[in-house]
Amino acid sequence: MRRRRPSESVNIIVCVKQIPDPETPAASFKVDEAAKKVIPAQGIAPVVNPFDPQATEAALRLRDAAGEGKVTVISLGPDSARDAIKHALAMGADEGVLLNDPSFEGIDNFQTAVALAKAIQKIGAFDLILMGRSAADWDMGVVPAGVGQLLGVPVVTVAKAIERNGGAVKVDRVLDDGFQTVETPLPAVVSVSNEFGEPRYPQLRQIMLAAKKTVQVWGAADIGMAADELGASGRWLPLDALYVPKVESNVEIIEGETPEEKARNLAQKLRAAKLI
Amino acid sequence: MARDFAADILDPIAGEIVTNVGRWVDREVKPQASEFEHADVYPDPLVKGMSEMGLFGIKIPERYGGLDLSFECYAGVCMELARGWMSLAGIINTHVLVGYTISEYGTEEQRQKFLPRLVEPEIRCALTITEPDAGSDAQAIKTTARRDGDDYVINGQKMWVTNGQRAGVYLALTKTDPTAEPRHRGMSAFLVEPGIAGFSVGKKFDKLGYKGVETTELSFDDARVPASALLGGKEGSGFQHVMSGLEVGRINVAGRGVGLAQAAFDDAIRYAQVRVAFGRPIIEHQAQQIRLAEMATKIRAARLLTFDAARKKDSGVRSDLDAGMAKLFATEMCQEVVLDAMRIHGGVSYSKELPLERYYRDAPLMVIAEGTSDIQKIVIARALQREYPV
Ligand SMILES: Cc1cc2nc3c(=O)[nH]c(=O)nc-3n(C[C@H](O)[C@H](O)[C@H](O)COP(=O)(O)OP(=O)(O)OC[C@H]3O[C@@H](n4cnc5c(N)ncnc54)[C@H](O)[C@@H]3O)c2cc1C
Repeated sequence: MRRRRPSESVNIIVCVKQIPDPETPAASFKVDEAAKKVIPAQGIAPVVNPFDPQATEAALRLRDAAGEGKVTVISLGPDSARDAIKHALAMGADEGVLLNDPSFEGIDNFQTAVALAKAIQKIGAFDLILMGRSAADWDMGVVPAGVGQLLGVPVVTVAKAIERNGGAVKVDRVLDDGFQTVETPLPAVVSVSNEFGEPRYPQLRQIMLAAKKTVQVWGAADIGMAADELGASGRWLPLDALYVPKVESNVEIIEGETPEEKARNLAQKLRAAKLI
Repeated sequence: MARDFAADILDPIAGEIVTNVGRWVDREVKPQASEFEHADVYPDPLVKGMSEMGLFGIKIPERYGGLDLSFECYAGVCMELARGWMSLAGIINTHVLVGYTISEYGTEEQRQKFLPRLVEPEIRCALTITEPDAGSDAQAIKTTARRDGDDYVINGQKMWVTNGQRAGVYLALTKTDPTAEPRHRGMSAFLVEPGIAGFSVGKKFDKLGYKGVETTELSFDDARVPASALLGGKEGSGFQHVMSGLEVGRINVAGRGVGLAQAAFDDAIRYAQVRVAFGRPIIEHQAQQIRLAEMATKIRAARLLTFDAARKKDSGVRSDLDAGMAKLFATEMCQEVVLDAMRIHGGVSYSKELPLERYYRDAPLMVIAEGTSDIQKIVIARALQREYPV
């Protein structure tokens, strides 16, 4: 593991993911139960995972506070995931890497963490790895921990504020009922929550500059992943079934001579159904 | 038809810019546009957002700090802004139009003085042609500018000045030779900065729509400007310069028509799928299918016409025919589509809780301002006559 270089310059890697639009209307959300896959909704373009621009925003602020440094964006996904990288580049990130290979299809969170960790090792020196707190498609939130574990660096999750002091960062974490402040030496992995605040909108000039930045594309072989680590067969977490839950509703009219009697009958029904 | 305007943009970077502006519109403009509009307050936070993205410098040449983007890109931006709120596309219109006129026809001194300040923008622009007794017939204006030593002395009354209270520079069309024949030979445009003696901004109009942005009267009463304020430094070209600027304005207004119509259509096609009448969603009734199909077809045609006119302007050739056609078709189409969207919504469209009533009040402006539809037809017919010499 390479340690932080002594200068103030900061090297940050941001992992971003492209996901189906979480605003997809329920009627358009369909699952192929046999293939255990979500069928992309027609006419609804995939989007950047909503927490990821916040991670990018955090990276840009830390880079700009340091005065120099580099923000590299990685995304693992199909060709279209290039758009998620482009979005981060348009916000002001410096470089992009797309991990794209047919054998990445259907992999689980752990395999994703392995691929990201290997790509990060290939990139080389880094001070900080930032990610969204979870991806709004599967909502597992385990990739940051996996990458930290694989790279042997500390992991801090659900950050609402990140402040760098030389070779360490102070992170305010969001808890259910308050906040917690922790400090960790660098390099480290930090996952960023929506409480971090609104990410910037890309400026037109940055969008123009981003178009000139090249996005490197690495396949499985480029990051040294073996075939048996990949594909749905290499999953650590085999997917048993995928389905949209069926919601059934029944209407029952509660009878009774008087309002009081109706209320009593309703209460009895609810108790029988163990709802009260 | 997805509303994705960028899909018809040929330049990929322009497409990305328009997509990004669209995201901003969805998140920042759509949720609060009606509130600003009903209160008729200037949308400072939205204008700040536009400025931070760099929209005001969109057509300023790079050597003056701008982005020098294409008209194709600009047309898409206007569509997106108007999809959120038509007034935002109006706020940027006179700014871009005047910036364009200065960069095309201004002296080098005028360019250096104004263009860098339009990027941020430190100052915004207004265009003032119309007067109490002259609108469509712009050559009938009565405002005069008389040479007096190193200055010009301006006298006259202007009407309907968009950005009238907030502008830092007004491009004012005047007559330096009221007796000239043809009349346009005696017309000159000036870059007037507020704060000079004899220049005053009059009342703000209480308008049917197009709220938020102010439209005012303006008067010149022996207002003295230095000769260096004469656009291009030469008398007699003002009409031609301003008309060329209006081609940019017409692309803007055509884009607005497309954007506003798209907003109405987006609402209508969603509503038609959830509103049930006679046992089925209204979209399953053929009359509504026909209506929606016609709306979408017209929007698409207008959109393609608008991008086509913008690309023509990008190519540097005269594009009054194309801009006129786009403006005419897109704005008339917009009025029809907005009313159709109301028909689809039925009674609820008449409520101020939905944005349709705002669209309905905003649409008619576009068939009037920047040259009425009648005037566009004259422009188109004259251009056609040039194309078919006999
Ligand atoms: C909200 C708003 C904002 C505006 N902002 C600006 C601005 O920033 N700067 C500016 O200079 N102006 C502005 N205008 C003015 C606008 O451009 C004029 O209103 C428009 O050009 C029409 O001129 P008019 O109102 O004098 O109508 P008129 O010219 O009097 O036209 C009245 C009617 O006669 C028709 N007509 C006129 N001539 C002919 C002809 N030859 N053949 C057939 N029909 C004809 C017209 O089509 C119209 O139907 C604005 C107007 C509005 C409403």
